[in-house]
Amino acid sequence: MTFLAPAAAFFALTLPAIVALYFLRIRRPTRVVPALNLWPDQVRDRQANVPWQRLRVSSLLLLQLLAAAVLVAAAVQPALSAGTSLARHSVVLLDVSASMQARDVQPTRLDEAKKEVGAIIDQLSPQDRMTLVAVGPTPRIVASLVGDRDALHRALNGLGVSNGSADLSSALALAAGLVKAGDDARGYLFSDGIVGPIRTDASSSLPFPVEYHPIGVSGENIGLTSLVVRTSAQSRAAYLHLQNFGQQARTFSLEWRADGKLVDVRRLTLGAGVAQDLVLPVPSDATVVTAHIDTGDIFSLDDTVTAVARSPSTFRVLLVTPGNVFLQQALALRGDFQLDVVAPADYKSSAPYAMSIFDRFLPPGLPPGLAPGLPPTLPNGPFISIDPPPGSPLAGGAAIGVGRVRATDAGDPLLTNVDLNDVHIARSQDLRNDTFGRALISSLQTPLVLVRDEPFRQVLFGFDLHESDLPLRIAFPILIQNLSEWILPPSVPSHSFHPDEPVTIVPETGATSVTVIRPDGSRQALAAGAVATFGETDLTGLYTVEQALSGKTNRSWFTVNLFSDQVSQLKPADRITLPPYNNAVAVNSVHRGQLEIWPWIALGALGLVVLEWLAFHRGL
Amino acid sequence: MAALLDPPLLRRLEGLALQVRRSVSGQMGGERRSTARGRSVEFADFRSYSPGDDFRLIDWNAYARLDRFMLRLFVAEQELPLSIFVDLSGSMDWGSPNKAATAKRLAGAIAYVALAALDRVRLTVFAAGPTSGGAPYRGRRAVAELFSRLQSFPAGGPTDYSRLVWPIARQRPGMTVFISDGLGDSPIEPAIAALGSARQEGAVLQLLAPQELAPDWNGDARLRDAETEVEREFTLTPATRAAYLGELARRTEEIERSARRRGLRFARLSTDEPIEDMVFQALRRLGLLR
Repeated sequence: MTFLAPAAAFFALTLPAIVALYFLRIRRPTRVVPALNLWPDQVRDRQANVPWQRLRVSSLLLLQLLAAAVLVAAAVQPALSAGTSLARHSVVLLDVSASMQARDVQPTRLDEAKKEVGAIIDQLSPQDRMTLVAVGPTPRIVASLVGDRDALHRALNGLGVSNGSADLSSALALAAGLVKAGDDARGYLFSDGIVGPIRTDASSSLPFPVEYHPIGVSGENIGLTSLVVRTSAQSRAAYLHLQNFGQQARTFSLEWRADGKLVDVRRLTLGAGVAQDLVLPVPSDATVVTAHIDTGDIFSLDDTVTAVARSPSTFRVLLVTPGNVFLQQALALRGDFQLDVVAPADYKSSAPYAMSIFDRFLPPGLPPGLAPGLPPTLPNGPFISIDPPPGSPLAGGAAIGVGRVRATDAGDPLLTNVDLNDVHIARSQDLRNDTFGRALISSLQTPLVLVRDEPFRQVLFGFDLHESDLPLRIAFPILIQNLSEWILPPSVPSHSFHPDEPVTIVPETGATSVTVIRPDGSRQALAAGAVATFGETDLTGLYTVEQALSGKTNRSWFTVNLFSDQVSQLKPADRITLPPYNNAVAVNSVHRGQLEIWPWIALGALGLVVLEWLAFHRGL
Repeated sequence: MAALLDPPLLRRLEGLALQVRRSVSGQMGGERRSTARGRSVEFADFRSYSPGDDFRLIDWNAYARLDRFMLRLFVAEQELPLSIFVDLSGSMDWGSPNKAATAKRLAGAIAYVALAALDRVRLTVFAAGPTSGGAPYRGRRAVAELFSRLQSFPAGGPTDYSRLVWPIARQRPGMTVFISDGLGDSPIEPAIAALGSARQEGAVLQLLAPQELAPDWNGDARLRDAETEVEREFTLTPATRAAYLGELARRTEEIERSARRRGLRFARLSTDEPIEDMVFQALRRLGLLR
């Protein structure tokens, strides 16, 4: 035991002072009573005005001495060695990600973690430093203080939970930067273990050991992990994916709403670990659809999902081809494309199209200068050119045989979900010396598909689709989808984002103001003249983008949903593979934390004072 | 006399009478039913005539029906011997209103009721020992003398109830009113037992001052006994106050239990109660007066 304020022992002088007061005598007035034998033989000294008398030991004196002694004991602030090993610098990494909202421990995992961190704060000695790092989508230092436990408690209590994921790698890197070589430091991670993957660059540089304190006990949860609205020429439907991540079968009801109006209610039963896909109707005039399940489980963030159902604005697209059913079908999959198909002989350059696809054809005689730096015969805008005829400005070299087809960069977002393993191409124009743009798909012999961003997003296929089995593969419509979305991105993306994921908003031409209305009704204005990145997407639900455009207001929508199997499975990890720390730079001199017991002693002293007061007034 | 009881009160007292539960045995005629048969208007019984009987008492109607002489017997009405014992010890000379003064007024009121009914009143005051209040008083003419005598006795000294046993025991059966605070070092039990043995009907009236029923002070004091003048240091706190009141209640309960066991009435009276209320309410409720 140590005493944090030993100087307060000076107050122990009150004990002999109390005894001294009891040596003083009281001058008592004489009162005549009819019968003295009725009065109990009890005397108590309450005041002193005539010194001195023999000390009378009374229960009151003993209580007063005891109360004074306990008060002195509280004043010197004794502290016990606590069970936790503490370094001089404690780095507390507190997970504030979405999964910490789970209520498998009451009231939530975050509150439980806060309680444990609070216990560590209480054990800090006045010389100890604590750095509190909130581990959310963007880790941040909440407090880094020496000796000020009240401020640490305030900072801890002010922490709120995020709907985003936990980026533990960044948090560890941040914490590592706080500790200098030679510092006596130790890390404490309070988390349910549902964190992002730990990158290797973070693991190699930790200058202190990290203790993992798992929070949470259960993974019983049913989550909605996907909601997509598909619009085709024939119908409009929503595809909802549900999964029971728990170990027990559950029966619950699903509410399906369109623009807030109830469309359908279904009673569902999901066995343990079972997933189910539902196809739900979407009214033709619906803007937003919402699915909600009432499961009463421990996690509510994935119980409600929202999707934008309104079709985006349509694009007029021109397909000039002597005949290509594959291309026509692939483009028709885009619900927002109004596709015009013309034969090369019928091509007229005057019609305004957002995008043109030239299949084995390139229009001649376009006005020069519309696309600086380009051959004057090319259309001034986004296009896809497929197997341009020989002699045209985009035509490559003589056709050569093509071997294995591969992606030039496997991580290129334009090739997302495009599997080129079984794709074969008989021959292609030689594009090796073509300066059109970067290669997207290549072979050993020649680049096969080129793309470029400037001045417009344009694509050049070097081969005739009919001399390839690519149109027969699933990769083909996906590739066309990726390319067309890249060439003609919607000004406001209508798909769902994850919490805290930034959203790029391209203001429409002529928009004078752009405002984003969050699910809680708060509004945030964006710059109207430039592409804006909106980052305030921490809330799940529907976001409305209002653009003022020549006297009218255009509204578009996007949604933020959890849509994370990793988070929804919720089961806390018993262990996390944390990076080892570098012994060479750490000073391993942990000491025991201090558990201050003086508040309890002071409470006991207060109780004794109350007891003494009662004894005094009851004449004990 | 005026100093003891007011004339209006005396006039009201004339409307009261002592109430006895059983017949009395007095020496002179009075207004009380007697165990002896005598002259009165209240029929008691018949008996056969024997020579020497007053032939005026022969019931001639009965003779006509039965053909033999029958005498009609009536309840004899005799005087009631009333003894009043008044405690004038040091403990009674205490309180506001003073207990001794109140005891004298109460005794005077009861004596007046008895004298107005031609009953015989014997007065005894006591402290360390009994002091006779003079020859028995009888009739209204004795009221002034009795009151005067009652007022002349000073209060003070210790209480010794055991010294009352003999004066009580030698009384003829009758009514006794015993006025005391029941306090003091000596126990009251022998005196009450003597009342029972002497076939006394009556009442034990415990008279206490409001200051001893609810002490009006707090804190530290040096207590001095009013009778023995013994002193002791004391602190009055809620706890010691409760202990004192508990002891007082226990003492009162002992006196009441002892009195009732011997067929005596018991009442605890406070001196802050007007004497009219004591007589017209408390004592009537007790059944001592009617």
